[in-house]
Amino acid sequence: MQQTQAHAPTASSPTALPTGKLGLWWFLSSEIITFGGLIGSYTVLRLAHPEWAEAAQHLSVVIATVNTVVLLTSSLTMVLAFRAVDRQEDPAVRTWLGGTVTLGLVFLLIKALEWSGKLSAGMVPGVSGFWSFYYAMTGLHALHVLAGVVVNAVLLLVALRGRLRPVAQRVEMAGLYWHFVDLVWIFLFPLLYLS
Amino acid sequence: MRESAATQSLHDLHPAPAGLCRKYVFSTDHKVIGRQYLAISLLWAILGGLSVFLMRWQLAWPGTPLPGSALLSEAFWDGESWLARSLVHGIIEPEFYNKLFTMHGTIMVFFVAMPLLLGAFGNFLVPLMIGARDMAFPRLNMLSVGPLIAGAVMLLLDRLAGTGFFVPALGGEPLLWQHLFWYFGHPEVYVIMLPGMAMALEIFPVFCRKPIYGYRLIIYATIAAGILSFLVWAHHMYVSGMHPRLAMPFSITTILISVPFAIMVFAMIATLWGGSISFPPPMLFALGVLAVFLLGGLTGIFNGSAPADIYLHDTYFVVAHFHYTLFSATFFGGFAGVYFWFPKLFGRLLNDTLGKIHFWMTFVCFNAVFIPMHVVGLGGMMRRIADPTMYDFLRPLQPLNVFISVAAFLLLLGQLPFVVNFFWGLCAGPQAPANPWQANTLEWTTASPPPHHNYDVIPVVCRGPYEYSAPDSPQGWIAQNQALVAGPATTAQG
Amino acid sequence: MTGERRHPNYVAVWYWLLGLALVSVSLSVLPLSHTFTVVLVFAAATAKAWLVALYYMHLRFERWLIYALALVPLVLFGILLLVLLPEIVSR
Repeated sequence: MQQTQAHAPTASSPTALPTGKLGLWWFLSSEIITFGGLIGSYTVLRLAHPEWAEAAQHLSVVIATVNTVVLLTSSLTMVLAFRAVDRQEDPAVRTWLGGTVTLGLVFLLIKALEWSGKLSAGMVPGVSGFWSFYYAMTGLHALHVLAGVVVNAVLLLVALRGRLRPVAQRVEMAGLYWHFVDLVWIFLFPLLYLS
Repeated sequence: MRESAATQSLHDLHPAPAGLCRKYVFSTDHKVIGRQYLAISLLWAILGGLSVFLMRWQLAWPGTPLPGSALLSEAFWDGESWLARSLVHGIIEPEFYNKLFTMHGTIMVFFVAMPLLLGAFGNFLVPLMIGARDMAFPRLNMLSVGPLIAGAVMLLLDRLAGTGFFVPALGGEPLLWQHLFWYFGHPEVYVIMLPGMAMALEIFPVFCRKPIYGYRLIIYATIAAGILSFLVWAHHMYVSGMHPRLAMPFSITTILISVPFAIMVFAMIATLWGGSISFPPPMLFALGVLAVFLLGGLTGIFNGSAPADIYLHDTYFVVAHFHYTLFSATFFGGFAGVYFWFPKLFGRLLNDTLGKIHFWMTFVCFNAVFIPMHVVGLGGMMRRIADPTMYDFLRPLQPLNVFISVAAFLLLLGQLPFVVNFFWGLCAGPQAPANPWQANTLEWTTASPPPHHNYDVIPVVCRGPYEYSAPDSPQGWIAQNQALVAGPATTAQG
Repeated sequence: MTGERRHPNYVAVWYWLLGLALVSVSLSVLPLSHTFTVVLVFAAATAKAWLVALYYMHLRFERWLIYALALVPLVLFGILLLVLLPEIVSR
C-alpha cells in the first residue's frame, strides 16, 4: 500500500506535539542550563564576596526598572500578536509584532547607553569579578535580545507582505523564545540591581 | 527502470537538489550531512593521531630530535618560525608538549568522537532506521555542521594566530571553573559512550543471528545511566581542594553508575551466548567494544573511589582508564559502524581481509599501549609531564615508556590498512547490494546508497528488528516490513 | 496547529507583572534587613517568572512533556547550586 508523506510544517510526532514546539522547548532547555550556569556562578561568588555590593551601588536602578517595564510590555505585545494570529486578525498581528520589535530595540538602546556610561567612567570588565559578571551576563542576554529582535523583524516583514498565513505557527515559536529572554531578565534584574 | 507513479510524485514532494552547491555544500539531506561529518571526523582523527606520535616520541626518548629534523637546515632551526620555536632543533619543547596533549584531547573528543558517533552515524542512520524521509529539522541540521567547522577554525586561530577565543580571562575561583567544566564534561563523555555501545548492540544480533538479550533491560539501564551521569561529576575533583565532605556522595554515585553499564555488558555477552557467530570486520570491532569497555569499566571503579583516587589522580592510571572507555566507544565502536554501514553509505563493499588486518593490529597494539600504562601509572608517573626521566623515581619505568611508545607507533601504522581500504572501496570497491549482511533493520530494505527520498514507499513496520533464525522463513530471517500472516504458518509460504 | 486554544487575559497578567516589578523596586529602597529584602525580591521574581511561563508561554495548557523539558534543567541547576554553595561560599 502506498503511503506518501507531505512535509507538513506542523507535522505531529509520536508525542502528539507539533515538532516545532518540541524542538523549541528542547532548545530552551539547554538555554536554561547555559544561563543557569552563569547565574549560579555569579550567585555563589557574590555570596563569597560581600564587598561586591559596593560595586553594585554604581548601577542605576532607575534605568534597569525602565528596561524591565519595556521588556515586560514587549512580552505582552508578543503574546497579543500570537493571539491575533490565532484569530486571523492580520492588521493586529502587524501592529503587535511591530510593537515588540520597537520595544526590543528600545531595550537594547537603553542598555547600550547604560554600558557606555559605565565604560567611560572606568568600570570596565577587567576591574573586578563583579564587573566581569555584569558585562558577561547582561551582554549574553543582550545578544539573545538582539537575535529575538531580528527574528521578530523578519516575521514582521513577512506579515507586511501578506505572506504570514502559511507559516503562522512561527509567531508562536518566536514568542516562546521572546518570553524566555524576558524570563532571564526577570532574574537578572533583582540579581544585579536589587541585591 | 521505469519510475512508478508513486516515485514520481515523491520526487515532486521531496525533490532531489540540483547543482553542486545545493547538493553538497548547503544540503539539508541528512545522508549528505552524515557523510560530511564522517569526512570531517576522519580528517581530524589523523591530526589527533599525529599529536600522539609526537607525544610518545618525547616520552620515550626525551630530548631526542624528531626523525627527519636533520633534513631541515641549521638556518631553519635558528629561525623564528613557529616550528623552529616549538621544536628546538627538532627537540620538543616542554611548552609545545603541553600544547600537544591539550590539542590531542580536545581534537579527539570534540572533533572526532562527537562528530563521528553523533554527527555522522546519528544523522545518517536515524531517519533511515525509522523509515522517515529526513530529520525533523533539516535546516537546523545543516546549520549544525557550520559551528563545528567554525569552532575548529577558532581553535586553530588560537593556536597559530594568538587570538583569545578560548583563553579564560576571568579571575575568580579556579575551583568554580572545575565544577562547571566537569558538570558538563562528565555527562558529555557518557554521551560519547552510549552511541559506541549502541553500535555494538546493533551489530551483535546480525552476526549472531539471534535477538538481543534483555532489550528492555538495556533501555532502562541506559536511562538510569543517563540520569546518574549528571550526579557524578566531582569524581574528577577529589584532590582538587574541594571540600572533602563531597568525596563520599560522589564516590557512591560513581560506583552506582557502574551498575547500569554492567547490565549492558552482561546483556551483550548473553546475546552472544548460543549464537551462530560469524566474524567479518564489523563483528570483530563490535567484540572489541565489549572487551575494551569491560576493562575500562573495571579500572573506573578504582578511580571512582575517593581513597584510591587520592593516589591515582593525575597519574597515567587515569589516562589508561579513560582511553579504554573512550577508545572502545569511539574507535572500536566507530570503526564497527564504518565497516558495517559503509555499503549503505557509499554503495560499495570494503575489503574483508584488509579489515581484519586493521582490526587485529588495532586491538593488539591498543592493548600493548594501554595495559602497561596502568603499571606506569601505579608506579607514580604523573600526567602532563614532558620528561619523565627528570624524576629519579620514574627512571625505572622508562623501559615501559619506550615499549608503550613503540606500540603506539605500531598502532598508528595499523590504521594504514583502513585508509587504503576506505579509499580503494570508495573508488573501486564492488557494488554493494541493498542488504549485504542479511540484517533486519529498516535501513537495509532500501537501496545502497539510499535515494534522496530514502524510501520509495514509507515502510510499514510489522515486527521487531530481531527476527533472525526464524523457523518459518526460507532465508532464515524475516524483514521488519514483511507482513504478519494470519493463522498457522504453512510451508507453502515460499 | 492553530485552532481552539485558550487565550487567558494577557493584559491582566501584564498588570500583575508590572505590579510585582514595582513592589520589588520599592522593597529594595525600604530600610529592611538585607536578607529579608533579597528573599522577598526573589520571591517576587519567581512569581513573575511563573506568570510568564504559565500564561505567556502557555505552559498551563500544554502537555506534561513540555513541563518536563522546562523542569529538568531547573532541577539540574538546583543540584549545581547545592554543590557549589558549600564549596565556594564557605572559604
